[in-house]
Amino acid sequence: MSRLQGPSPLKRKRPDSNTPSGSLTEHERLLYDLIRSKQDMAIWTRDMKRETNLPDNVVTKSLKSLQTKKLIKEVVNIQNKGRKHYIATEFEPSMEITGGTWYAEGNLDTEFINFLKKHCVKIIYELKVATLEGILDTIRRSRAFNVEFTTQQVEEIVNALVLDNEIMEVKSNGIGEFDSIPVGRVCYTCTSKGGDTGEPKIGALASIPCGVCPQISLCTPDGIISPKTCVYFTKWLDF
Amino acid sequence: MVTEYGIKFTVNLINNHFGNLVAKVCENLLRRGPLTLQLIVRYTELTPQQVKNSLLILIQHNCVQAFSYEQDGGLEDGPKSNTQYMALFNNILHRMRFSKFLEIMSREFDDKCKELLEGLLQHGRLTLKQMVERAKDLAERAKSRKKEGICENLVQESLVKLFTARYVERCPASEPVLAARNKEDTPAKKRGPKSARTAEESQTLEQRVLAAAAPMEAQRFSAITNNESAVGRETSMDDSPGMRVGAKRKYDASELHIEPAAEEEVILWRANFEEFIRCLRHKACIENVRERLDDGAATVLRAMLEATRSLENKVKTEKSVPLSLNNIFEEVMKSEEGRGMTLDLVRASLVQLGCSPSARGTDESYKIDLKKIIELAQNDEVESIVLKRYGRDAYRMFRLLSKNGRLVETDKIANTTFVEKKDAPKILYKLWKDEYLHMEKLVVAGARQSQFLLWKVNKPCLWKHVLDEMFHAALNLSQRVAYEREKEKEFLNLPVDKQVMSQEERLNRLKSVRIVLESSLLKLDDALMLFHDFEESSLLKLDDAIMLSHDL
Ligand code: SF4
Repeated sequence: MSRLQGPSPLKRKRPDSNTPSGSLTEHERLLYDLIRSKQDMAIWTRDMKRETNLPDNVVTKSLKSLQTKKLIKEVVNIQNKGRKHYIATEFEPSMEITGGTWYAEGNLDTEFINFLKKHCVKIIYELKVATLEGILDTIRRSRAFNVEFTTQQVEEIVNALVLDNEIMEVKSNGIGEFDSIPVGRVCYTCTSKGGDTGEPKIGALASIPCGVCPQISLCTPDGIISPKTCVYFTKWLDF
Repeated sequence: MVTEYGIKFTVNLINNHFGNLVAKVCENLLRRGPLTLQLIVRYTELTPQQVKNSLLILIQHNCVQAFSYEQDGGLEDGPKSNTQYMALFNNILHRMRFSKFLEIMSREFDDKCKELLEGLLQHGRLTLKQMVERAKDLAERAKSRKKEGICENLVQESLVKLFTARYVERCPASEPVLAARNKEDTPAKKRGPKSARTAEESQTLEQRVLAAAAPMEAQRFSAITNNESAVGRETSMDDSPGMRVGAKRKYDASELHIEPAAEEEVILWRANFEEFIRCLRHKACIENVRERLDDGAATVLRAMLEATRSLENKVKTEKSVPLSLNNIFEEVMKSEEGRGMTLDLVRASLVQLGCSPSARGTDESYKIDLKKIIELAQNDEVESIVLKRYGRDAYRMFRLLSKNGRLVETDKIANTTFVEKKDAPKILYKLWKDEYLHMEKLVVAGARQSQFLLWKVNKPCLWKHVLDEMFHAALNLSQRVAYEREKEKEFLNLPVDKQVMSQEERLNRLKSVRIVLESSLLKLDDALMLFHDFEESSLLKLDDAIMLSHDL
């Protein structure tokens, strides 16, 4: 959530080994080594028990102690939010665990995603036509984010915008708006010419009550639900 | 594609236009396929006379086509009851498009032509004599002092104009004879000039009957009479043995006792729905392009379609003339909105339209994929339903699957569309339950056995489903129209002191309700055509021909 300002969450891994791990009990050491050996993949408590053969209460106690010593931390595994996972503090959880850039604390960071989407649409609208690199470049220069985006991340956002039908893919023909872009390159341009990200045009069926009616399969000419008695129609035609 | 609600809707149309007896006959034919007179009587439980009258009406209005199978012992030996009647679903459906056909007409031709077409639409089929009578009637009512001779000439003139533009055609044979069923797979040699056209093996019965009944191309749009003054290429009818002669003999002996008359009067004319639908299809493509791309692209497309349309009307050999950039440019310049375009702009629009120049010799020639345009318009229509019914997340997911065309796994869909992982299956499930998606389970036996759900858009199935919903919605709209009309009538019959609102107020309201309903129905019909009529094989074939002519 705080990625719009705040410190970057995409910290480098720092595999320094200068940790105060000297004063550990035997069980703590056993668990710590196991957790650490999993590196950025983290490990589920059940798996720890299975691999170390330690009784439940010992594991729970040792984990608590390791946490207070700031040697390990709990992470949310996006694949299975109910299962407690631990990771050594020197590692950042991997993409598979966190779900990647788009997740914050195990949830899809929709606020962040939508902000980025809007930003991309604005860029594309201003550029008229833009390549992926062009968009990435503009984002970098705009300094609106403290996060460094990769091409792949921007591509994911742009693809979602295409699916939203807010922008569309076009191939450069090298003429007019495209004159600075090599022929054949994939570019993006806004779908609505006004640049406002309005709803796509509503089709003929979708613009009448029956088109969006949840009862349509029950509606028959002389049935209980029928066009003659239909409340949706009555509401629609009430003017 | 004829769907359940398609039948209900068309039967409702017939019921509104011709009453419930005719509708009953029509429904039986639509549901059961071609039937003999006896069978119709049995199924409908109407009297033979009622059935005959209904059939006469349906035939008169081009909604039913009669045909028979060739009998083993020669035509004469067969029992008369052999005649089969087949409902023509498409033609019935066209009945709700008459206003659109007339609008096309009035954009291109004068009032006389429009009147003529109006008559044909109203009466189904007319002879020249009947058309002249009608024109005289109209003239009289308009108190015009035109002389009879002029009237006849005028009608002839208009008629020539109309069939030169292919908007009016000669009626098909009243009862063509098909080769017996068991010989179906042997090529139909007997059909002579038509055998070239019917070369495709997998024709439906309807296509076979229509092909057998259709007048030859040369006759279809020409020659009011056999004398010199008539326009068009003369082809002797004697060139086509077998079918035509047989058909004529059958005509006289037809069960329905249509009066045989002198050759000249027997020639019946009707509106050529196919041509109107082609026009509407072109119009829909142009409008779609205008919306999706811009006015320039729409102008160029229109110019191209217009240019090739006139090519089609000329003798066949001229079809091979390629549509080069220069041709297109010339055509664009003819239209008002195109006059401001430069050659470069035209070329850019062509690229926008998705055609890359294929250099042939020194000239660039272009073709346009109309099918693709139709497909995009269909996608838009379905996607907008998904958006309105299931929301934006569903819209994104649906578009992903629709574009992809392949099976995609739930989590992958969630990731690509930025939908919360726990919500994605719910949305997908809802779409699947309403038949908008296809689902497959995949069980992977690994360290831990796991099950994946894969999803995809099955277009042929979905398109059929959407079409059925459109027919259903159209039926609902037209029933509501009938209901509102009823209310209007009731209201007018109320004594004045019982009327709550002022009469004028109330009637105005009812009128605007009807306008909304009726215009929605017309709009919905545009979408119906998109899914039902614009994909007809006959039209596609024609477009292939257009493309061929570009390609050469
Ligand atoms: S008539 Fe009313 S109830 Fe029936 S499908 Fe339409 S909106 Fe739904």
